[in-house]
Amino acid sequence: MPIDHKRINGPEITIPYQLFDKLNTKSGKSQFKDFVKSNGVRIDGRSANDHRKIFLKTGVVSQAKGSAYIELDKTKVIVSVFNPREIPNKSEYSSKGEIYCEFKYAPFSCHKRRLHQQDPEELQYSAIMKQALESAVSRHEFPNFQVDIYALVLHNDGAALSAAITVAGVALAHAGIPMYDLITSVTLAVQGEFVLVDPNLEEERLCQVPLFKDEQNTNHGIVVLSMLATHEQVSQFYQTGNLAMDNLTSAIETLTNAAKDIVVLVKKCLVRHVIKSARNVED
Amino acid sequence: MALCEAEKTFVLHGVEENFRIDGREREDYRPMELETNIVSHAFGSARLRLANTDVLVAVKIEVDVPYPERPREGKLEFFVDCSANATPDFEGRGGEDLAVEISNSLAGAYRSPEVFDLTKLCILKGRKCWKIFVDILLLECGGNLYDAVSIAVKAALWDTRIPLVKSVTVDGNNIDMEVSEELHDCQKLDVTGAPIMVTVCKIGEQCIVDPSAAEELCSVGALVISVSRNKFSTILQTGSGSLHPQTLLECLQTGHKVAQRLHDALIETLVDIKPSENSVGFLR
Amino acid sequence: MSEQYKILHPVKYYRDYLAHNIRPDGREFDKYRPIVVNLGSISTADGSAIAKVGRTTVVCGIKAELCQSKAEAANEGFLIPNVELPPLCSSKFRPGPPTEQAQVATQLVADILKNSECLDLKSLCIFPDKLAWCLFADLICLDLDGSLIDACMIALMAALKSVRLPVIDYDPALDNKQANLEHRKPLNITNIPSSTTFAKFDDKIVMDPTVDEEDLSTALITIALRKNELCFVHKPGGASVTDEQLLKCIDESQKRAIVIEGIVETALRSLQ
Repeated sequence: MPIDHKRINGPEITIPYQLFDKLNTKSGKSQFKDFVKSNGVRIDGRSANDHRKIFLKTGVVSQAKGSAYIELDKTKVIVSVFNPREIPNKSEYSSKGEIYCEFKYAPFSCHKRRLHQQDPEELQYSAIMKQALESAVSRHEFPNFQVDIYALVLHNDGAALSAAITVAGVALAHAGIPMYDLITSVTLAVQGEFVLVDPNLEEERLCQVPLFKDEQNTNHGIVVLSMLATHEQVSQFYQTGNLAMDNLTSAIETLTNAAKDIVVLVKKCLVRHVIKSARNVED
Repeated sequence: MALCEAEKTFVLHGVEENFRIDGREREDYRPMELETNIVSHAFGSARLRLANTDVLVAVKIEVDVPYPERPREGKLEFFVDCSANATPDFEGRGGEDLAVEISNSLAGAYRSPEVFDLTKLCILKGRKCWKIFVDILLLECGGNLYDAVSIAVKAALWDTRIPLVKSVTVDGNNIDMEVSEELHDCQKLDVTGAPIMVTVCKIGEQCIVDPSAAEELCSVGALVISVSRNKFSTILQTGSGSLHPQTLLECLQTGHKVAQRLHDALIETLVDIKPSENSVGFLR
Repeated sequence: MSEQYKILHPVKYYRDYLAHNIRPDGREFDKYRPIVVNLGSISTADGSAIAKVGRTTVVCGIKAELCQSKAEAANEGFLIPNVELPPLCSSKFRPGPPTEQAQVATQLVADILKNSECLDLKSLCIFPDKLAWCLFADLICLDLDGSLIDACMIALMAALKSVRLPVIDYDPALDNKQANLEHRKPLNITNIPSSTTFAKFDDKIVMDPTVDEEDLSTALITIALRKNELCFVHKPGGASVTDEQLLKCIDESQKRAIVIEGIVETALRSLQ
């Protein structure tokens, strides 16, 4: 790897100490059983269809046109949106404005240390974010201009991508960018017959591989869906893993319902902002 | 390419009538041409031509050390190279985003152990494993890249032969491997689960597969659906539009059905391909 | 009306304020903005803190990893600070490699750490020449509203104070390592260095400038202190500063250093 002269570099090879933990001999299956009891109650007391507690706040970055911050229990994501600027390095006129998304994990946000440059996963999530937000923004209102959206994950405890999409929608509204609709996004983790809404990091990890092979049920995977609230349109859909058709059918239903649940919170948060700014004008 | 409203309506009506502008039905593919084993110094290779899209895939194999967090697994990596010859848009760094998107979706589609079993690539737990590099070269870009790439990758992996390890000896920190010298002594990979990607395009009220350039312009959104053994391994929405949940489901059903047909046809063809002296055109 | 005036004639706008011995945000020249510190809210990091100086927000996360020490310093570990100014924090930045400002800030923070000797790198060594800790301290600015270094130092020191490293059992003969995750120890931080930034405008000096003040000013001075001793003074060019002014700045920053230390200690107590 080339040396990064613009940062202070540590030693070439470093190893996370977690690898030398006293060997964890538990199988994935029993680990999963620890997290989700057979009646569907999860380790933090939620049922399968429950969201974590959500905290939303606008106007956290004073230097940005619009900004918002979300907490899904431990998952923390901050997004800022900047004024439209002319699309860089482009000669021909485009009748629709563009949005640019950057999704980044802070180096300390995950179990494994992330590097400063965007890795392929972050690049892909940036693309998914862009895809999700494009259909929510009235892009014809700012032709030939580009809106920059930066999302930074401070702490990843699962569902970071959908948290980023939801909060980016709020930040866009806070910035006063013309939009068609509010956007909310939800993650779903599937393992065997268990379908978990808004998984935390451990649940997400355990759903990457099939654990119930011996029971002839190899369904597993992660599904992320973003919805435009009033238009009932899916603006983005992303799935990995291994899922059968009927699983997916029910997953989509669960997700659309779960996405509707958050809309109230998003609305409340924006109303709060409007009332606050109206008061400031009065003063 | 730009279409006027009348032309778009024409395409749309064709789709409604199940008789597309080039005479295909909604779930028909354009003709494909597949060759395997064409790059002599690769471990496996394939070239696919789907109408105007041309893809060359070569597989390389190296011995590597497994990831410390997954000591029992080998590695599989995808690299996509968008050659500037494929389309003028790829000049400079133009193709980079697309290349990342394709290689990421392939990595996502192959991630599940149900799809592709990486433990088969392990030689010695935590110490030695095979690393498979799948290099994908886009030679010409005529739309519907995901489908073409996934088929070519599957064919190339089918064609891949891994050298047979005869013995492994461990002496402290040194590991000695003996690989069979016999050229034909090799393992084949199990690729029955390797996913097939189908791009389903929504035009008007109908879903179509394998859109031509004109049809792509008429569509607001598409789904890339990758199916492995009857199950979905990755689904990705592309384009700037949005879909109703019901439409989403319809697209998934269509994609599922078509992918299965495509898989069966591909396996049949691959079994049929025999090494022949007078192979077709490319690179010979 | 004042908004337009500010945008059209920023210098004149600011000068008018200063003529009345007050700053646009209502502060006097030698007043600093409120400081807020929050500790340990990021559990994936081994130590973390968020510091706010006015609206300037810096989050610091420290990740510890194991490594081999350098050949020239076989009994020392590493502490690698990096200041990141992502495009998120201000419209001045674009995606890409670190800007000049970020590089300068990184070097400044590293120099202050080194000069203050607040952490003995030898204490990060587990077994000479074989195994040592490498602490990656990543400082990310979330909101840039002036006095970046001050906020960085507060976040960094608070995060370092909250680091708990697991005890590692190391067997040099077999090169066998075992981490004892339940048994953790804090770092031995001997002092809490802090810094204070001043901006010079015309012949006046203001403390703890906002980003607007920094942009208008003709010179910036950053003074880093360890208890009552100077450990770094940074004045990168610009207008000249008289001896009395500089001494007064040092005097002011000494008073503030005591306050900052108090705030960090209070935050730590609330954590325990």
